[in-house]
Amino acid sequence: MRVTNGARIIAGTALLALGLAACGSESSTGGGSAAGGDQPVRMELGEPQKLFYPGDTTESEGAEVLAAIFAPLVDYDENKQVVNDVAESIKTTDNKVWTIKIKPGYTWHNGEKLIAQNYVDAWNYAADQDNAQGANGFFSRVEGWADLNPGEGKTVSAKGMKGLKAVDETTFKVTLSKPFSQFKTMLGYTAFYPLPKAAFGPDGKITDAYAKQPIGQGYFKLDKPYNKGTDQTIDLTRYDKFPGAKPKFDKLQFKLYTSPETAFNDLVAGNLDVHDSLPPSAISRAKTELGERYIDAADAGVGYIGFPLQYNKIYSNVKVREAISMAIDRKTIAETVFSGTRAPADDFINPLLDGYRQGACAVCNYDPAKAKEQYAAAGGPKTLELGYNTDGPHKEWIEAVANNLRANLGVQVTVKPFEKFASILDDLDKKSYTGMFRMGWAIDYPSAENYLTPVFSTVAIKTGSNYAGWSNKQFDELLAKGDAAPTQEEGLKYYQQADDVLIKDLPYIPVYFYRTNAAFSQHIKGVKINLLNQVDWTKVEKVA
Amino acid sequence: MGRYIIRRLIQAIPVLLGATLLIYAIVFALPGDPIAALAGEKRMDPNIVAILRDQYHLNDPFIVQYWYYLTGLFRGDFGKTFAGVPVTDLMAGKFQVTINLAATALVLEAVIGIGLGLYAALRRGRPADSLILASTLVLISIPTLVTGFVLQLLLGVKLKTAGVDLFPIAGVTEGWRSYLLPGFVLAGVSIAYLTRLTRTSLAETLRADYIRTAVAKGLPRRRVVGRHALRNALIPLVTFIGADLGALMGGAVITETIFNLPGIGQQLFSSVYLREQSVVVGIVTVLVLVYILANLVVDLLYAVLDPRIRYE
Repeated sequence: MRVTNGARIIAGTALLALGLAACGSESSTGGGSAAGGDQPVRMELGEPQKLFYPGDTTESEGAEVLAAIFAPLVDYDENKQVVNDVAESIKTTDNKVWTIKIKPGYTWHNGEKLIAQNYVDAWNYAADQDNAQGANGFFSRVEGWADLNPGEGKTVSAKGMKGLKAVDETTFKVTLSKPFSQFKTMLGYTAFYPLPKAAFGPDGKITDAYAKQPIGQGYFKLDKPYNKGTDQTIDLTRYDKFPGAKPKFDKLQFKLYTSPETAFNDLVAGNLDVHDSLPPSAISRAKTELGERYIDAADAGVGYIGFPLQYNKIYSNVKVREAISMAIDRKTIAETVFSGTRAPADDFINPLLDGYRQGACAVCNYDPAKAKEQYAAAGGPKTLELGYNTDGPHKEWIEAVANNLRANLGVQVTVKPFEKFASILDDLDKKSYTGMFRMGWAIDYPSAENYLTPVFSTVAIKTGSNYAGWSNKQFDELLAKGDAAPTQEEGLKYYQQADDVLIKDLPYIPVYFYRTNAAFSQHIKGVKINLLNQVDWTKVEKVA
Repeated sequence: MGRYIIRRLIQAIPVLLGATLLIYAIVFALPGDPIAALAGEKRMDPNIVAILRDQYHLNDPFIVQYWYYLTGLFRGDFGKTFAGVPVTDLMAGKFQVTINLAATALVLEAVIGIGLGLYAALRRGRPADSLILASTLVLISIPTLVTGFVLQLLLGVKLKTAGVDLFPIAGVTEGWRSYLLPGFVLAGVSIAYLTRLTRTSLAETLRADYIRTAVAKGLPRRRVVGRHALRNALIPLVTFIGADLGALMGGAVITETIFNLPGIGQQLFSSVYLREQSVVVGIVTVLVLVYILANLVVDLLYAVLDPRIRYE
């Protein structure tokens, strides 16, 4: 019987090792996850795409961090109205020359005083083509932008935009090349944050050190430089010299996750406090397990189906596009395919913003009988193609739309997957893809105008996101009128008329409005998500 | 011996160069403009896109781009990511995580796999043996994705909410404990294979003539199994473990994603997606190096295990 002893010893050692490991870990954790006084509020975040350059941060994750470190000129209140934040006043008489005065008392985290010149420096930096900042285009309305962007290969001779001047320490003046009534609304966007003198190196460029640990003037400051790719947390501490409303807790920690499912598991287990991008697969669990700690709120995004109108003539008949629109059962798609995480669209403007009109898009109503009749009468094509990108949650709803079209129009529909969104754009640019495609829009600043100009105006074919290549003179003129309108109400009237032109001509079909699905832990309360999809930290409180 | 090692290492140089060229070409051939992909679903100003393409030499022909990369490599410069992070810094952080994970997995694999296999071989045909065979079969047939999520939910979330905090669910912030569960998930299938391999290999050796001789000589059973049988049976196992090291390091994408470990598997995936040639080539080159070294170590171990094998 000695035979088995050897095996017993080995197997036994293995088990013992595991057992020891288990014991060891038990003792080392004592109370690590309890919500003590020093415990930070922990929020889920995807890895920011770049280091922290405000003018180069055009995606949501980096913007979320910057929003905690920087205070914007304007903010948006619960009635979706623009209110001054760091700005004391923003005045204009003609929508062209804007005088911005900042409130006194703001300091940078290094002690420097916030001055008007900080804004001028930051904006000129972002607008200069030599710095290749992603948000460069946001400054294209400022007079002198063209001088800083002569084109690739040409040298920039201008020193800053001539429409941008600091008048005194607290006031600066912005002159636009054309009137733009929504300019004030834009100023809450990441690209319009100021930069301290300390941000720039001797060569006039933002230093690497600054981009790793940006010095802001907001209510949180970064504890240490962020090593992109290595660090799994971004830690912030409240900046107590901040003169505005401050958060009621000291420490905030962003935890980086690659999988929203994993982050949700961490939240359920109590290792995470806020998760603002719940995956559809977690929705039903969140509803039952979290109860009131699950948030389902409107989001300002829109999802469409687009047509390559510029070069494929088979979609050029608006009656065909209308019929396709009427054949889509938006309600079922929103409620079943998306488990209620989307809402059926009935306008090009999202209900979260002023300017939305319920039921504005009549052909967005599901009417299979009329769709079929109209499609046949207009001589719609017998086969349709529908493209989508597989790196987002699109397959299911695109398949559902394809089924709707097959059943209701009696046509053949092929669904074409693209590996990523950029591949769809590539093929559209090369005119090698001729089918319909999925499209979406998330706002940059909360104005009805933001659903129109960047997506459907003629200039946006080249520099914006007008992938349909649709161009309409009347639409462009109405936008210009709205931009020049003396009051917000009057401006909105023109924008709504432009919206009517869109609905009449239907270059894209609006399919759904996005919703935000978030959850928070029992350690905190008061989580509110604002129009820009960011958490308002001044309202969050820790629960003892 | 020393000469043999040097010769093997010299042979590695053309392999490494060939690998960089091949990978660089493959990533180059992927469709889509990396700069446009950076902008997400919105279009960046075309002028800025053109300037960025120029900055990253994306307009140059393939061979010129490769030349830039290679000359940088000889200066010890692995290039930069599109976010401006030096690839060396990035790889240092990522490899740290992956090495921890792979080491945990390898230890679990060797200890559990060989242990169970040994036990089964010595109890061939008995209930314990059948149980081990059946359970390894189950382990082989369940994909890592499933074991990962299920174990995370059961041993991470459920246990934690029940008040027992044994295994962290995600991240590497809790030291070596963070690697236990993912290490086990990653090693799962290999444990099963290794168990079966050990069992067969040992069972076969135990039937060999020299073992019968050893038993007839009246050696104690422990010495027969431990010195004579196991040592010979280990050769195929060492080959398996050595080859597995590479797979554990480069192929941990799923495990790394489920447990939110920022290792090279994940990085490789996202860099291929973003077409970051410098990152992809850098990582793959290091992985090739790991394979070559692991193979060398395995070959040298043969000589230790079986004195008849010699290298000149």
